[in-house]
Amino acid sequence: MSLLTDTAGAHAPAPASKTASRGPRESRLSVAVATGFLAVIAVYMLLPVFWLIVSATKSQGDLVDTFGLWFSDMHLIDNLRALFAKQDGVFVPWLLNSLLYAGAGAAVGTLLSAMAGYALAKYRFRGREFLFSVVLGGVLVPATALALPLFLLFAKVGATNTFWAVFLPSIVSPFGVYLSRIFAAASVPDELLEAARIDGSGELRTFFTMAVRLMSPAMVTIFLFQFVVIWNNFLLPLVMLQDDRLYPVTLGLFTWQSQVSRDPSLQILSLTGSLVSVVPIVITFLVLQRYWKAGLAAGAVKS
Amino acid sequence: MSLRTQRPALRRALVALAALPLLATAACGGSGTEDGASGGQGACEKSEGKVELTYWSWIPGVEKAVAEWNRQNPDIQVSVKSTPNGNAGTYQNMSNALKAGNAPDLGQIEYDSLASFRLQEGLTDIASCAGVKEAEDDFVKWTWSQVTFGSGGEDGVWAVPQDTGPMALFYRKDLFEKHGISVPKTWEEYYEAAKKLKKADSKAYMTHFSQTDPNWFSGLLWQKGASMFGQDGDTWKVDVDSPAAGEVADYWQKMIDEKLVATDLQGFSPALYKAWNQGEVATWVSAAWGYSTIRDNAKATSDKWGVAPMPQWSAGDNAAGNWGGSTTAVLGKSEHPYEAAQFALWLNTDPKALEILNREGGLYPAATEGLELEALKQPVEFYDGQKIFDVFADSSKNVTTDWTFGPTMTDTYRFLGDGISGALGGKGTLGDALTQADAKTVESLEKQSLEVAK
Amino acid sequence: MTVDRTAAAAAPPVKNTAAPAAPRRRRNWAPAFFLLPFFIPFILFTLVPVGYAFYQSLLKTERTGGTFGRKTTVFAGFEQYKEVLGDPEFLGSVGRVVLFGLVQIPLMLLLALTLALLLDSTVARLKRFFRIAYFVPYGIPGVIAALMWAFLYDPRLSPVVELLDQVGSAPDFLGSSMMLWSIGNIVTWTYTGYNMLIIYAALQAVPGDIYEAARMDGASEAKIAWRIKIPILRPALMLTGVFSIIGTLQLFTEPQVLRSISTSVTSTYTPNLAAYSLASSDNYSEAAAMSVTLALATFVLSFGFLKFTGRKAES
Repeated sequence: MSLLTDTAGAHAPAPASKTASRGPRESRLSVAVATGFLAVIAVYMLLPVFWLIVSATKSQGDLVDTFGLWFSDMHLIDNLRALFAKQDGVFVPWLLNSLLYAGAGAAVGTLLSAMAGYALAKYRFRGREFLFSVVLGGVLVPATALALPLFLLFAKVGATNTFWAVFLPSIVSPFGVYLSRIFAAASVPDELLEAARIDGSGELRTFFTMAVRLMSPAMVTIFLFQFVVIWNNFLLPLVMLQDDRLYPVTLGLFTWQSQVSRDPSLQILSLTGSLVSVVPIVITFLVLQRYWKAGLAAGAVKS
Repeated sequence: MSLRTQRPALRRALVALAALPLLATAACGGSGTEDGASGGQGACEKSEGKVELTYWSWIPGVEKAVAEWNRQNPDIQVSVKSTPNGNAGTYQNMSNALKAGNAPDLGQIEYDSLASFRLQEGLTDIASCAGVKEAEDDFVKWTWSQVTFGSGGEDGVWAVPQDTGPMALFYRKDLFEKHGISVPKTWEEYYEAAKKLKKADSKAYMTHFSQTDPNWFSGLLWQKGASMFGQDGDTWKVDVDSPAAGEVADYWQKMIDEKLVATDLQGFSPALYKAWNQGEVATWVSAAWGYSTIRDNAKATSDKWGVAPMPQWSAGDNAAGNWGGSTTAVLGKSEHPYEAAQFALWLNTDPKALEILNREGGLYPAATEGLELEALKQPVEFYDGQKIFDVFADSSKNVTTDWTFGPTMTDTYRFLGDGISGALGGKGTLGDALTQADAKTVESLEKQSLEVAK
Repeated sequence: MTVDRTAAAAAPPVKNTAAPAAPRRRRNWAPAFFLLPFFIPFILFTLVPVGYAFYQSLLKTERTGGTFGRKTTVFAGFEQYKEVLGDPEFLGSVGRVVLFGLVQIPLMLLLALTLALLLDSTVARLKRFFRIAYFVPYGIPGVIAALMWAFLYDPRLSPVVELLDQVGSAPDFLGSSMMLWSIGNIVTWTYTGYNMLIIYAALQAVPGDIYEAARMDGASEAKIAWRIKIPILRPALMLTGVFSIIGTLQLFTEPQVLRSISTSVTSTYTPNLAAYSLASSDNYSEAAAMSVTLALATFVLSFGFLKFTGRKAES
């Protein structure tokens, strides 16, 4: 839990001046109004989540027959047990697949983005702006427009329905390159690079020892965003995969949901499964958020 | 990337583009193969040695039937993959896999999608495989006409019938009794019953009219004999808005206009189940497989439902429609059509297999022998001990054989669904929906470069 | 209007902070080494598919013989584009998402901005909790989010409708007049937190002493927000704006899921849904033409937005 509390949520510099300024100026009223507003929005944001939690504890029958925002008979354990037993326990591989696609995909993608962004920021070469423009163009290409052509291309090399068919396209993050370039430009001083060169450090070593450290907040940001994007990606695995053992959890749950009319018990299982599948995302967020605000800060472009 | 580029560059690009069609046609002319339609009447020969087949299906419990086959046939081992319902992604996946060349040997395909798959060259003609043509008499008549596209085998046999969805009327006995409504035998009586129900209980509806089940609506058209498509030599006839279909549409439009049917309930939605449980919806004209939908989702209404034959358009008739049902098809690129066809035949005619599929998956068999299954002669507990399958067995025999699904059925359903959604939302009528669906279907056939009779 | 223009608009600092001229002759290989690992997959998995989609969009199907015939694919030039641009339903769907964007994007960004400013101000409490609470919806996969809301909209199932009915009457969330805004609510719910974090993070980058100085001068929190913070946030707001435009044009999951419970969503409700419908009826070429048209529309609108906001910044 210390992760939760450690991450003070305000301007990194000068905490002292901050506490000083929080003095008498704000009236109780404005504090109450502001916090009240935030609380109302929080209720809005969390209400559906609460509904999901409540629903996951219900039996199939109670789901439609009892008031949706409060608990009735506790069936959470039964639901969880059924969830992990369904179809020879296929839910566990789904979760692991998602973690692998999203975790490894985001890690590799972040590294590639950081390297490219670093090169675009710190080296001068012909065509640099052109390359950057192409990357930005890539940010704008609708991901949904890519899924089908990607499928047809993978089909040509006989690589559909494999782990790689989902993993490889996931490591490309033009947005990550964009953030990396901006962050590298801002946070890796040229003097430091020059000094390293004078010391005889190779370009690679300089990058991996120095630049990466300086860019780590941005890299964590890119990782987090990419993680969520891959985790939520639905269309690509839908067209690429036929073997349900390769499914990520979102696709698996969708499959269940679409079978509800034949097997009604899947309704409650897909809801319970949804709840379980949100847990890794929240944990990832909590773990990473301490690094994370500084990273975004530079990324989000100061003028 | 610059759009406001200098003219000369643009002109050069256009010249280059203009030259492309020549190249493309040249390329196509060279690469075309000359052997008739896919599959054709090629030899269907037994493979050497042990064969492994793959099969996609969404029947719950189908793996138990497959295990039985594998036990009996050590040389032809089938592995089955459980998939979502066809239209929930499996068809898309199948046609993708066909394109990618990694499709399974066998797949479950519903009657209404067979033509689409044949159009995509996704099916293998198994007419020449041992035992296939001879199996014709093993199946309910209309199903064989579906898998042979109405040609009686002259134009190939493209799948083996599996199950069917003969339609009947599920109705709430308790509500009918309470409000003094007798079971309607004709659609006219059904309408009167709906009015009576509404009068007695303003919150109750006779049934729900769903936008998401255009195939339900086509089941109603089927009963009326209003086939949506026809073939005339090499051309397709599109008849979605035939006068007969118009009659059906007008009838239901009247029900909608007078608010006798619920228009805000979608098929198979939790909201519908709740409405069933609360007695808001009194009937459902549905298929044989629908008995488990009600049983599993409206538990509170146990013993309250009865099943009667589908209402008729003219008194004394006994026509029935069909909604759903599927086939087992040997897919386009299977290397073992012989073994695959043997498995498909066994799965859908062997008494033991039929028994397993009925028990586990609730399938209502397409094999005539299957209609005699012990399980289908028993009183059904949820339905107050009524022998409901007797009703469906009659219905099954009365389904008209003269019905053709089109080769772009996904589109037709979609257009119909969109039109119905408009009618339910108060924009246009069901009649308009048919007219639009007809025009757009012609367009979609033409886009596939098929000939359409005007 | 070239792509370079965006680079300049969206990433102003790059130009200023780019490395000063320095002797680099010896290190010619280095950029390539750093760039290739990204660019090889980028070319393979983004540029090539885009090119392939474009190629596909120039084809059409022809058949010979019989009611099913044999299929060949021939070059058709821009025929599919003519088809797409002449399709009133496709144009209608574009109009629908544009209307959606004009209303939903400003509302969402305004909410995100307000939340970010409050979380960055000194007047609010419990900030850590709120930050996580707002981000949680973004972590819920779109399909599942849409399913949950579908339950909460359904007049017969929703506890929310039940509560609203007790205090008055609940709107018909699934009716045809409300549907677009019901979808808008799901999108707002999902992405407000995400946008808020981008904006919030931009605020964090501002050294605290700027505000301190303003406070010394007697400026109120509101005035600081309006005069200092919002101008600083312009690039972040532009970034979130562009992402929202892209997301709006790509709307797919929410209408697709709601289709199963409401009569108000047709199979061509949004451009992406229309393209998907075409692809699933084996009309890849027209679907590809639709996707390419949609991608072009995205480019045009995003650039248009950047240009518009950029110009306003200059004046």
